[in-house]
Amino acid sequence: MGRRVALITVLVTLGLIWGSLAAVLGTGTTPKLGLDLQGGFSVVLEAPEGTDAGVLEKAVEIMTRRIEALGGVQEPVLKVVDDRNIQVELPGVTDRERARAAVGTTGQLEFRPVITYSTIGVSPLLFDAQQANALQESLEASLQEVEPTDDTTTTSSPTTTSSTTTTTIPEDVPLDLAGVLPAGISLCEDDVAANDQLGCVDPVTGLSVGDDPLKEAWLLNPETGYIYHVAPACLRADWLAGTCADSRLDPTVPEGEQRALLGADLAGSEKQYQSQGGGGPIGVGGGGVGQWVVILDFNDEGAAKFEAVTKELAAFAYGDPQRQFAIVLDGQVISAPSMSPEITAADGISGGTAIITLGSSDDPEQEAEDLSVVLRYGALPVSFVESTSQEVSATLGSDSLSAGLIAGIGGLILVALAMLLYYRFLGLVNIIGLTLFGSFVYVAFGVLGATSGVTLTLAGVAGIIVSVGITSDSYIVYFERIKEEVHRGRSLQSAIDHAFARAFRTILTADTVSLFAAVLLYFLAIGSVKGFALALGIATFADVLIAYFYTRPAVALVARTRFGEGGRLSIRGATGAAKEVVL
Amino acid sequence: MSVFQKAYRGDIHIDFVGHRKRFFIFSGVIIAISLLALGLRGFNLGIEFEGGVSIEVENANEVSVTEMRDAIDSIGLTGAKVQSVRDLSGREDIRVETEELSSDQQVELRALVAEVAGGEVGDFEAVSATFGSRVISIAIRALVIFLFAVTIYISLRLEWKMALAALAALFHDVLFTAGIYALIGFEVTPETIIAVLTILGYSLYDTVVVFDKVLENVSERGERHTYAALVNMSMNQVLMRSINTSLTSLLPVGMLLFVGSFLLGATTLREFALALFIGIAVGTYSSIFLAAPLLAVWKEHEEHWQRMRRRVERKGGAGEYAAKGIVSPDETPAEIAASINAAVARAPRKRRRHR
Repeated sequence: MGRRVALITVLVTLGLIWGSLAAVLGTGTTPKLGLDLQGGFSVVLEAPEGTDAGVLEKAVEIMTRRIEALGGVQEPVLKVVDDRNIQVELPGVTDRERARAAVGTTGQLEFRPVITYSTIGVSPLLFDAQQANALQESLEASLQEVEPTDDTTTTSSPTTTSSTTTTTIPEDVPLDLAGVLPAGISLCEDDVAANDQLGCVDPVTGLSVGDDPLKEAWLLNPETGYIYHVAPACLRADWLAGTCADSRLDPTVPEGEQRALLGADLAGSEKQYQSQGGGGPIGVGGGGVGQWVVILDFNDEGAAKFEAVTKELAAFAYGDPQRQFAIVLDGQVISAPSMSPEITAADGISGGTAIITLGSSDDPEQEAEDLSVVLRYGALPVSFVESTSQEVSATLGSDSLSAGLIAGIGGLILVALAMLLYYRFLGLVNIIGLTLFGSFVYVAFGVLGATSGVTLTLAGVAGIIVSVGITSDSYIVYFERIKEEVHRGRSLQSAIDHAFARAFRTILTADTVSLFAAVLLYFLAIGSVKGFALALGIATFADVLIAYFYTRPAVALVARTRFGEGGRLSIRGATGAAKEVVL
Repeated sequence: MSVFQKAYRGDIHIDFVGHRKRFFIFSGVIIAISLLALGLRGFNLGIEFEGGVSIEVENANEVSVTEMRDAIDSIGLTGAKVQSVRDLSGREDIRVETEELSSDQQVELRALVAEVAGGEVGDFEAVSATFGSRVISIAIRALVIFLFAVTIYISLRLEWKMALAALAALFHDVLFTAGIYALIGFEVTPETIIAVLTILGYSLYDTVVVFDKVLENVSERGERHTYAALVNMSMNQVLMRSINTSLTSLLPVGMLLFVGSFLLGATTLREFALALFIGIAVGTYSSIFLAAPLLAVWKEHEEHWQRMRRRVERKGGAGEYAAKGIVSPDETPAEIAASINAAVARAPRKRRRHR
């Protein structure tokens, strides 16, 4: 390689790489640290089978806005990984339950008129079934009494009633609910998918599974333990007439037909502190000093529906459960306020505002805040299941980082020393090359972190540490080759050139295998293995570049100086051959 | 001059192929032990693969493992695995592992463990079993595709027999590493997968460099030596390079091991680094002492190379790299005659026609 060409190549390469390092450090585009290096919370949420990619993207959007509204999270990372999972990484988050609730809650909100409720934790449906049974028994008993008049000879005493009926009903058998279910609702079957039987009723507990806002339901309030029998989320008139339909829930319904009162009818929601007990026309007054509530603002259409619903409800007397309506979130009743007596059937509640008073909790303000955030941005389009979650404390994170750094830098130093020992001055070339390698990787991660949110994890650090070995090998291959060519009798200059040509082929072949591995792993694996693959890939790529654009010209330059032909420290000294022999 | 100095100058003549029997036996023993360990003990899978919950908490109250276990039993979660570990800063922690739990149970367990141990929760992980098995199947699929792609690449770049010999060495390395894990009972986590993949990549890399050298020698001196001799030659030439490379790879890993286990006493880091360390060492061993002799023996059976062997031996030039222990096949006089004829066949004919 010509002297000028070599010099220019080396200088340009050094300038580019060290320059970009300076730029990255200066602008503060340092590599983003993953969760295991700085602490935080991460969770992978799984959507049901066959979910559309667009739906997943929408879910990510909603979750992101919720997280941002909660505040206190720097640089959250939410992204879709493979075809049905969303990965949420929240570095620096300390309260995992809050974060979990924020992203995991589906947020499907409904407003349903109450029909009746039970306070002892037994579904009203079971009561109905029991009543129906008792009715059945007494009916059959009275039938029994009538029968024997046809048969006078065999006189079985007609007064023995239910104990000798042919239809024996043992007391502890599960009540048969099928008989008392309204039309359109069935019992849940084990072998049918949940999505295909929304609104079905569990045959043992009498509760609805999989909430369908267009059907009657039996729902639990987990805090009070009450179980409510609620009507569909429409006007009572619509329900009884059978016209309760909504194009948002049922695609077969014509557009514009939206009779249900859902969370989608909200314009916004905030938390609010109300003094002097529950204010507003609805909500039972809490009395006392005051409380945190969640204010729901309906949009125009929603407000109109709300007014109509409350008018209907007001027709019932104060104290009648049918004057209450249930606010249902994700299939559970969170509040079932009754309208205060002043509201008449003529007015309803206008103004389009509803208030949710929360039950008792350790931190009512936080609860109000969390609920309002979940409702504000709308419900997630599908409900997710948590498939894995991880929480790393900040101390563990920083410990991991220091361990990784110590090992990495210590390793680099040891390798540099070893190379110096073996290859004398060429080892110095290698050391500069190693700094180039380190800079390249650092810059790559910094840039990737800023543009695509790629983070450096502990696995990534392991990958880089391992690649130090691979990149050193490139030098070794080259240097050993130089030795060989010199022993064959070539002059130093031609030995270097020939050696590089041959060595680069070998380096390329072997590095391609590494790159293969890295690329394959990156696209096929998930989680920490992916981080390792990325680090390996970047490092291997750096190795090839540096070998071509730095090592080659650098060695060529060195050969021309006295370090090429000189004493023990020189290149020739490292080859262990005598001075140049003229052939 | 010491062996080392000789090697440094490229002056050595070790007969790798000739001594192959002892290497094969040694590898055979290793594989047998590994298979035994795998069969009898199996793997100790971490929660990322089996599903479950893992909590690592600072043991500020210095409770014993049994105390913690009793506390967990008392809330109805039996069968929890509790152990004392050292985290990355060397501080003593307690790690609790249970099977899959519901969200409420997770919260309860976390609160209990934090209370009993009295310290900060360092690491909390919950993985569903379905997710875990998916990770396993994805990892296996990735591995299979990788092996397939690499075999094709090496076949194209070098030779298909070399690819297969390299694969044989790979299986040996992976089996050995797996055996170690099964024998000692290290926990198999995604980091283990990373270690195994590193070892794979490294072993392949090393083998490719060796075979690349063999191919080069074959093309330059293939007319004058037997295949076994060529392999020996190549091995001796790359020995220095191979040792250097393993050293430069082992140094950073050794640092990780040192930092992990002695300096800090971190358990997971130590296991990972140890696996890597052993794996890389075995990888180097298999490239030199397993893959190359295997290739030599295999290729020697090719007709072309058998003819070459006969020719070399007839000329009496066994050479300094000749492999002892590879005997040319017995020949009938007819075969000798045929080979001589084949050797001198070409040139004269054309001239005769001209007359």
